[in-house]
Amino acid sequence: MTPGPLLLLAATTLVAGIVIGPRARSAWLANTLAGALALVAAAILILLGGPVWEWRSVFLIGGEPLHFRLDSLSALFLALVGVVGGASTAYAHEYWSDRDRPHSAPQGRRWSSAMLLSMVTLLLSANGLHFFIAWELFALSAYFLITLDRGRREVRAAGWLYLAASHAGTVCLFAFFAALASRTGSWELGPMREHAELAPLFWLALAGFGLKAGMFPLHIWLPSAHANAPSHVSALMSGVAIKMGIYGLVRFSGWLPVSAAAGWTVAGIGAVTALLGIAFAFAQNDFKRLLAYCSVENIGIILVGLGFALVAESQGASLSVWGRLALAGALLHVWNHGLFKSLLFFGAGSVLHTTGTREMSRLGGLWRAMPWTAGLFALGALAISGLPPLNGFVSEWLVYLGLLDAVTNHGSAAWAAMPAIIVLGTTGALALASFVKAGSMIFLGSPRTKPARLAHECGPWMRAPMLALALGCVAIGLAPAIFWPTVARAVGVWQPAWTGIDAPAPLFALGWVQLSLAALACAAVAALWWQARANGLRRALTWDCGYAVPTAHMQYTAGSFAGIGAGWFAWILQPERRLHRPRGLFPTDAIRLERIPETVLERVIGPVASVIMRVSTAVRRLQHGHLHYYIAYLLMGLSALGTFVALGSKP
Amino acid sequence: MMSFLEIVLRVAGWLVLAPLLPGIINKVKAWVAGRRGPPVLQLYYDLGRLWQKGVVLSTLASPGFIAGPAVTWVAIFGAAMLLPLGPAGAALSFRGDVLLLIYLLALARFCTTWAALETGSAFEGMGAAREVSYAVLSEAALITAVLTLSVHTGSVTLATMLEPAAGAGAALLGAGLFCVLLAENCRVPFDDPNTHLELTMIHEAMILDHSGPPLAAILHGAAMKLLFFALLLIEAVVPVGTLSPFAAAATLAASVLAVTVAVGLVESLLARLAFRRVPLLLTTAFLLCLFALLVAWKGGAA
Repeated sequence: MTPGPLLLLAATTLVAGIVIGPRARSAWLANTLAGALALVAAAILILLGGPVWEWRSVFLIGGEPLHFRLDSLSALFLALVGVVGGASTAYAHEYWSDRDRPHSAPQGRRWSSAMLLSMVTLLLSANGLHFFIAWELFALSAYFLITLDRGRREVRAAGWLYLAASHAGTVCLFAFFAALASRTGSWELGPMREHAELAPLFWLALAGFGLKAGMFPLHIWLPSAHANAPSHVSALMSGVAIKMGIYGLVRFSGWLPVSAAAGWTVAGIGAVTALLGIAFAFAQNDFKRLLAYCSVENIGIILVGLGFALVAESQGASLSVWGRLALAGALLHVWNHGLFKSLLFFGAGSVLHTTGTREMSRLGGLWRAMPWTAGLFALGALAISGLPPLNGFVSEWLVYLGLLDAVTNHGSAAWAAMPAIIVLGTTGALALASFVKAGSMIFLGSPRTKPARLAHECGPWMRAPMLALALGCVAIGLAPAIFWPTVARAVGVWQPAWTGIDAPAPLFALGWVQLSLAALACAAVAALWWQARANGLRRALTWDCGYAVPTAHMQYTAGSFAGIGAGWFAWILQPERRLHRPRGLFPTDAIRLERIPETVLERVIGPVASVIMRVSTAVRRLQHGHLHYYIAYLLMGLSALGTFVALGSKP
Repeated sequence: MMSFLEIVLRVAGWLVLAPLLPGIINKVKAWVAGRRGPPVLQLYYDLGRLWQKGVVLSTLASPGFIAGPAVTWVAIFGAAMLLPLGPAGAALSFRGDVLLLIYLLALARFCTTWAALETGSAFEGMGAAREVSYAVLSEAALITAVLTLSVHTGSVTLATMLEPAAGAGAALLGAGLFCVLLAENCRVPFDDPNTHLELTMIHEAMILDHSGPPLAAILHGAAMKLLFFALLLIEAVVPVGTLSPFAAAATLAASVLAVTVAVGLVESLLARLAFRRVPLLLTTAFLLCLFALLVAWKGGAA
């Protein structure tokens, strides 16, 4: 069977979804889920080793014939679009329902169909022009999804920032595709490594795609957009949309010749992105912003893998086989991050849905009211911290293994791999700290405010997608060897010299260890629980060193939990503090507020932009509508030119 | 492949011998202070007693409060099984197992801090915040130490990496790893296991509300972790893997004893550091490991 009919089915359902979305709610749901399933099925056909699917048509769009292609690399991302797209569709059915949001829910359905359709088109396009058009449609439909709740000012601001940043990236990509087409004489995309003169174009692609992926310091749009979007959209953005930037980078670094410098740069940017992304995440008090910054971190890990693969390739692909492991780790991390980050955003959405706040320090103790959400969030937190026996560890392990092999090879790459490994290790420890903080502040302890006390569990339509994604995390974690061939095929598309789908032997060992570890952990929990019950369980107040009436406000807050770690990064975090100390004999109030600004945006881009605005305002005074002044300008300009020419003509 | 008997012996060794170490440390401390001190086997009595005792659960605690110590124990046990014991090798060894080892310790940390925060007490919050923050630095040091061994031996399998020890940089690496040992096991000068002031503790503050069998699991896990770091330190410095089985066993036993006594002496002779100085000492440990890495790199290139 070829993926053609399945893709046609998916395209039909998504187009139909745009039409029927606003009106027929249930039909749209069934329709989109069917489309998502068809996408996953089509991707699986290719990933299981099916031949590359190609489809050409004489039908022209923009003067170019349609040309679609699905190979293992695009199928890898297509599967993610299907899985996360389907999950987010089901989740939105309850989370953003017509009852709660009579105006924006119907529009949301239309735009999410449009976004899925444009992403699918983007992944399939083998024509630069159509790729670019799909890219722009994808960016626009994401804008409308982010601003679904546009009654709120911060949502509009976040949407505007996203749109502006996105188009800055689009300018780079426009230049990239136009230059590519003019150099090669055709809009057709495909392997063109033999054209060495195309190598500089990769820098344009890095800026354009990197902005969408959220690499530091181009990530400025990401935190506010992900935090302010509805949670099912945040999941879609974080799980899939930013991966389109990664797709662009992986795709074009595989097709174009890439200089060695580009590989070093991507790896370096990746390491910086990972470390600073997680430092910002750790310091956040808003749990959706924390998740958003953590996406920046994970993009960094993926970029480290990709960067070292590029370095390995520039040093001779057949010699530096370690690059294969690094790239495979990066590609598997694309999947893993898509799964657990969507899961976490869904969990965050459930909390937001019932409590209405994103401040961690206003929550607490939610596990009792929402045990499912708490358990699944905890699983997601374990996975995203890269802990065994879940999936995050498998991909990070592959990246690490690639880098360690680079070190033991004693090549020039070792000099970069050693700091990268240390940075990744530090990043992992900080990610753990961030997710212990997020999970415990939201779900553990006692409720800090009234909304947290009145919280309730989410319904089945929100729970089912979370369960499905959690299942994916567990499956990849416990049986990594099963998923290896799919990733290995994608690596083979990227660099034919690295073809070979045999899983490295340690991956099997790792799978068994993860499996037995999980079994042992379950057994230990059961044994301890059983023994505790047999000895007698008694409930009592938290001991709290003998304090008799502890209140919820005496608990540690998110800010105090991150205090030590955030202090080390104060140079970049630049926290803004407002302190109001208790005064007098009978102090009535004391306040300590802390806000972590988006440093790059507010301390670098903001001031530069305001200077530009001031200069523009000053220059604008020259234009005032008085004709005689304009004539005077002309005369002044002419006489200046005349003087210039007269002076210049003298020998 | 390991025989069944060998695995049973190894598991039994880890489970039975680990609680000896805290006993020795306490004996050394008592000896330096001129007291008689608790018996060396005190922790065994404590574990036996705790296993039989009932549990008082905080009203706020979720099932994670009991699952946390269990998973922590399993993670440390798993890490112990991956650690090769001189010529006897590890229970399980594969390429890249060293990364699993580091991340198992991280898993233990996640579960300990998660269970600590279940209680909603500020003391546990403080302990957990310190634990996860200082671990960032000690993990950097640990991973640098791993890199050193990896560069020195050109391998990423623990059994091969630890066989010839660190060579020229061994002293630097040993000093760095000893600091990491003290930090990760919450000993003086990073943490004081015996203080009566909860405000100044890390590990003990996190387990204030645990009782009965979960506390037994935590204490046993902590003892295994101490033994684990002692063995890792020794094998990174002394080429135990190249000795004959008997000599290796004797060396390991003597060195573990030496490390334990050293921990006891440090604890007796040093005061706990102020918390703002802890990062400095951990950074020093990281730098020591980094210099060892540079030494190994130069040695490898020559």
